[in-house]
Amino acid sequence: MSGDIIEAAKFIGAGLAMIGALGAGIGIGLSVQGAVQGMARNPDTYGNLFTSMILGVAFSEAIAIYCLVIAFLMLFVL
Amino acid sequence: MEKTRKWRWGKNRWIVLALLILTIIAVNIYAPIQPHIQAAAENLSSEPLFTLPGIGDFYLTNTLVATILMDVVIIVIALIVRHTAKKDELAPKGLAGVFEMLVEMLYNMTESTAGKWAKKIFPWFATVLILVLFANLLKLIPGFETIGLLHHSAEGYEAQSLGGNWYTILNTKAEEGGYMVTPFLRGVSTDINFTLALAIIAVTMTQVIGFQANGFRYLEKFFNFRTIFKKPVFGLIDVFVGLLELISEFSKILSFTFRLFGNMFAGMVLMALVAAMLPVFMPAGIMLFELFIGVIQAYVFGMLTMVFMAQATQGHSAEEEHSNA
Repeated sequence: MSGDIIEAAKFIGAGLAMIGALGAGIGIGLSVQGAVQGMARNPDTYGNLFTSMILGVAFSEAIAIYCLVIAFLMLFVL
Repeated sequence: MEKTRKWRWGKNRWIVLALLILTIIAVNIYAPIQPHIQAAAENLSSEPLFTLPGIGDFYLTNTLVATILMDVVIIVIALIVRHTAKKDELAPKGLAGVFEMLVEMLYNMTESTAGKWAKKIFPWFATVLILVLFANLLKLIPGFETIGLLHHSAEGYEAQSLGGNWYTILNTKAEEGGYMVTPFLRGVSTDINFTLALAIIAVTMTQVIGFQANGFRYLEKFFNFRTIFKKPVFGLIDVFVGLLELISEFSKILSFTFRLFGNMFAGMVLMALVAAMLPVFMPAGIMLFELFIGVIQAYVFGMLTMVFMAQATQGHSAEEEHSNA
């Protein structure tokens, strides 16, 4: 019985941990939006903007990846 | 180049259709099972290779085998490119041409970001990028994570002989004494040791390049006590900002490690789950996605290394010149 509860709590915890991906999604969307708008207005800056955009996306994505790692830890390691 | 190549779509789509039908037949004969997913790399040898006192046992893991394979591939490609480059052609063809393009692109990128320090930073940047690129792309070779040793497992499946010493796992749970597969090869970046080592190298070399560029003034970035006597309030903020910089330097290691590991491990889990649930056509799409993610992650890892190194060379002095002017 207690083993089942722990098993259930693992899945619930993993699901809750992934809520953090919400913020990362918003962040990535905002940074790409800004970069694409800049590219559309001034196509010459494509290269610079693309580099900065990828960096920004990587930083935001890292947050989602932390959530994912926590979820994986709960599912497979703990 | 003179002749436009004929579009071979007409022939290729029959190949795609044949492969699809082949997948359907294969899935009906040998239904795929959901593999056991484990965050740490699996051991191939039951006995440790060697033991270091105080640290522990070292096993032959499947990611280690994949690392050696990756190294061999990179070294062979490097030798081929060197052989072609020695011929001194103006426009090298084939593999060497591709690598010339890649290296030229990377060097231009470094030069536009790092300026005069490009020569120092470029080798680290290119090494990290090419290493991670190959680590991520080798994962896509068929046979990775599927071919391996059989071992007994509590929740195993029944095995069927394919002739000789080869077995396949069936989609029926064994009542007792079932088998699971420990793959020979597993994606290199799905081992946290690889990404952690790479992250530590990248961040440590960032500090070294920072010291080379600024001397001991580089430490002022972290321990900034110069302004605290002139303007106590803002000086205190400067000290605090320096401490934050110090912490962020350590968090770089963490974020480097978990970004690459998380992305690649998530890809592996996704691939395993989708291949077990929807074995027809869908894994191909996931493979394509994995290709994309692998290239992007290699780019991001290299790019971040390069940008951090370029930031370290600028140090505090650039800001001061700006404020004095």
